[in-house]
Amino acid sequence: MDIGYYPGCTLHASSSLYDVQSRRVFSEIGITLNEIDDWNCCGATSAGKIDDFLAVAMPARNLGLAEAEGFSEMVIPCSACYSRMLVAQKQLENNIKLKEEINAELSKKVQGTIKVSSILEVLLTPSASDELAAKVTKELKGIQAACYYGCLQTRFPFKIPINDDVENPQGMERILKLLKAKTIDWSYKTDCCGASASVDDETTAFNLMAKIMKDALSRGANCLVVTCPLCQLNLDAYQDKFCKKHGIQDRLPVYFITELIGLALGMSPDELQIDRHFIDGSELLKELDLI
Amino acid sequence: MTAVELEFNFDTAKSFVQEVMERSDQNLLACYQCRRCASGCPVGEETGYVTPDRLIRMLVLGDRESALNNDLVWKCVSCYTCGTRCPNEIQTARVTETLKKISKETHQKPLSPKVAHFHSTFVSSALRWGRLNEIEFINFYEIKNTLTDLKNFRFKAIFSEMIAQGQVGLNMLRRKRLHFGFQSAKGRKEIKRLYQRAKTKQRG
Repeated sequence: MDIGYYPGCTLHASSSLYDVQSRRVFSEIGITLNEIDDWNCCGATSAGKIDDFLAVAMPARNLGLAEAEGFSEMVIPCSACYSRMLVAQKQLENNIKLKEEINAELSKKVQGTIKVSSILEVLLTPSASDELAAKVTKELKGIQAACYYGCLQTRFPFKIPINDDVENPQGMERILKLLKAKTIDWSYKTDCCGASASVDDETTAFNLMAKIMKDALSRGANCLVVTCPLCQLNLDAYQDKFCKKHGIQDRLPVYFITELIGLALGMSPDELQIDRHFIDGSELLKELDLI
Repeated sequence: MTAVELEFNFDTAKSFVQEVMERSDQNLLACYQCRRCASGCPVGEETGYVTPDRLIRMLVLGDRESALNNDLVWKCVSCYTCGTRCPNEIQTARVTETLKKISKETHQKPLSPKVAHFHSTFVSSALRWGRLNEIEFINFYEIKNTLTDLKNFRFKAIFSEMIAQGQVGLNMLRRKRLHFGFQSAKGRKEIKRLYQRAKTKQRG
């Protein structure tokens, strides 16, 4: 199966390991990711705080490009990009005038036909998850994952229905079950990590991340699993610092969901670039005899 | 925690709440102060007195000054929890986003210059090349912060920011997370034209 793929800026930069993992994992289960040609930044969470028109126009161009390339579905692993694209599509659908105004400047006009999917949605289609379950060569016994969704996988500023529970999503849990990993029930799975506050308001971001960390640890998790590259970077890169500040002794590796899938499918740590974690990602895996 | 004294001005109250309601597309008059938003707000501990419901009240009462200059507007992380839980579906994060825009457009001094710098630098970097180049963006962002701190004689703040960012950068380099390559999109001209259109519209 061929689908459109929007990596977004960070998957081409600081989180390029997520790009590598996504491509490998999807190709292993028979899905080819076709990167949209000449895509642009979606505006992330910043554009909406600067200019409303721009916040729709930036993702809109990508929707037009993907549709012009003939894709009926586009997968977006980054939560912020996914959210922005979905919200822009909704706004264009609701506002014909806005759509005309934006289309006037676009070489590839937005029709509004493409399905914008999160990485979990694609992995959980019956055919993909069957393929995934069949391809597992290494069961992830011993993993006790705290699946962390953050904000933008399930909550949107516009009314947009999703295929999962908004406050207690189960998508990652369902995938990890296929890999025979255990998951914990916990309270902070859709709480905010602070997002850009880690850069512009450290105290706030650290308070938020410390709460997430404390709950995951108190419920016996031995790792955090995420889909969002910003959640990953925040919880990983700042973990040592916010834990010290808040008196937390233990540390947890923060894996992308694709990292654990890749492992279960028999890919090597090198291939998955597991050495690019701030909190060592291989220590736990060695301890559990998974690598 | 002390209550903020609300300023009421009949002339400005009506037009301001109308502007915010229109731009954020939220019916603020539907708020009946049940405070589900307040109990779910993850930054509640940082914002003190001002919770989403109280921000709405400030707007309804027309206290423009307080509505633009409070911790909630500048510490809101746009997690959309309040809007998801509101029985009347008021998305207060869209209100805080609107207030940030009004603050910028009316050339107010933002309560948190760093937050304002972050978003404006992010957007200009993304527009410049069509894609965001992280190192360039962080550098421009820190230049803006330094200039603000210099203007206010906050030399210690400049120093600690440099140390903190230096540490993050070094850590990222060590973990192969610093990306030195350059990325851009050829079609950025289309986006720039759209932005011009947006700005002309704003002026109009």
